[in-house]
Amino acid sequence: MIKEALNASVLEGVERLDTSVEQVYASDLMSDVLAFGKPNSFLVTGLATQQAVISAHMAEFKGVVFIRGKRPKDGAEKLSRDNQLVLMSTELDMYDACVRINSATRGDSPEPVVVTAQEQAEKMLLSNEFEIQGDDFAKAGIVSTDIKSILKKIGFDSKLVRRVAISTYEAEMNVVMHADCGKVILSVTPQMIEVLIKDQGKGIPDVEQAMQEGFTTSTEEMRAMGFGAGMGLPNIKRNTDEFEIDSEVAVGTTLRMKFNI
Amino acid sequence: MPECQHQWKMTNIEFGFIVFEKCSHCADLRTYFSPDDTWDEYKEGDCTWSIVENAQTFRFDLQCTECNHLEKFNDLMGLLFCTGCLEDCEVELLRKKYEAEKTWLLVAFGFLPQSKTNPIPAYKLEILSDHFNQRRDTSRSRIIIVPFNLIKDISLCRGEFIHDVGMLSLEPPEERKPLF
Amino acid sequence: MNTKDVMEKIGLQALNKFEPREVDGVFVSDMLSDVMAGAKSGNLWVTVQTHKSIVPAANLVDVSAVVITSGKEVPAETIEMATKHDIAILSTDLPIFELVGKLYGLGLVSK
Repeated sequence: MIKEALNASVLEGVERLDTSVEQVYASDLMSDVLAFGKPNSFLVTGLATQQAVISAHMAEFKGVVFIRGKRPKDGAEKLSRDNQLVLMSTELDMYDACVRINSATRGDSPEPVVVTAQEQAEKMLLSNEFEIQGDDFAKAGIVSTDIKSILKKIGFDSKLVRRVAISTYEAEMNVVMHADCGKVILSVTPQMIEVLIKDQGKGIPDVEQAMQEGFTTSTEEMRAMGFGAGMGLPNIKRNTDEFEIDSEVAVGTTLRMKFNI
Repeated sequence: MPECQHQWKMTNIEFGFIVFEKCSHCADLRTYFSPDDTWDEYKEGDCTWSIVENAQTFRFDLQCTECNHLEKFNDLMGLLFCTGCLEDCEVELLRKKYEAEKTWLLVAFGFLPQSKTNPIPAYKLEILSDHFNQRRDTSRSRIIIVPFNLIKDISLCRGEFIHDVGMLSLEPPEERKPLF
Repeated sequence: MNTKDVMEKIGLQALNKFEPREVDGVFVSDMLSDVMAGAKSGNLWVTVQTHKSIVPAANLVDVSAVVITSGKEVPAETIEMATKHDIAILSTDLPIFELVGKLYGLGLVSK
């Protein structure tokens, strides 16, 4: 319906065009989209970047339409495919786009969805999952780099992003060096960033000892490569607001790192 | 044949970002236009350039609708408005003088560091002023664009760019900090 | 239709004193760069932006008034600067999308 009203070209998600949309939210300011956008809305924006898609995804929108013939250059299309969003572009400006959608929907627009403060607070803004392969030094550091760029793009304070990146990097290296494989889950809520790293491997026999500066179980080969001057756990602890470690020998280790926003 | 009285129109509009990057080694500031909002840090000799700000902007050229003459403006970084921070600054003195005549003054900035040695030529600033004046009812007020080398001391300037800073942030926008 | 008519018909709140001006179309955007590229003289500019740099941007393209939506609080220095530049700042609690519906109801079109 929106596509017809705006005579828009669909950039991504043709197969999802029949999704029902409850509201339309028009803004170029992404903080507003997150603060005031209601789930199942459609975003009308002139901000033709990946951020618009990330924000729409976080606010649980159904899709985004870019106005004034703008088309995002970065990975917005892939991102919306991954997140099941519809992406369109129209030649109309913001005013005309709103007018057309307004007249096309007049009369049958549903009641606005009310989100309580509690629900809002508990709302997960972002949840991403990454895989780490043990012993794969060529790819070591990729997950923390990815997480760093995601958080930077969201616009978090660079010091906070740095702390998350450092801690995640240390933890990622531990998985590469000591475990068979691991999974990283990045979650962002309005209050905090949480990075959960769960690996399958030999585990840490003495967590307390591992927490001490300089303690390492790295092999000579790893040290020759410049890794393993300690398990990095103290470094992680320094950089996190909350840090939990749970390890079982011959099963694996789980690290939970929390950073207050 | 009389010379064409150019009627300007914006063309080749390209939206993107002005990236402000600073080196932690030499403390220099550089700016460039980028279609993407990069945040990469990189090394160049002794210098480590890290991005301090990303501002939304657009690049454009002006074309005359009468004779099709094209004037390129890819050396224009942005327009700054004077906040009157330095009383004896040339810009501030001009601003006061012009405001009495209902003429609003804006300062044109080129990219750094190139524009320090190669400022945007005066004739192009005139074209720019003409363009904005052609778009408005000049009996009410006018626009004049002046070059940034009139600013007494850039490092002290508290002028503000007409740019969208912090648009991509998910935090509510705070008061902007000066870029210099 | 002038800025005062639009204000009264939609119930916008004026944040400063202004001389009524003919409204010629509407431009909606929160991006100053977009406004500079696309808005035209006499347009009513609808935005959620309240930072003082909206004033030089509005002035540059000579809009008839700026309408701040979603009940955003407008800093005093923005209002002060707008008054100095003869730019009307109007405010509404409505979000952009709803306001556009009403403006269109008044017969205002995009220019």
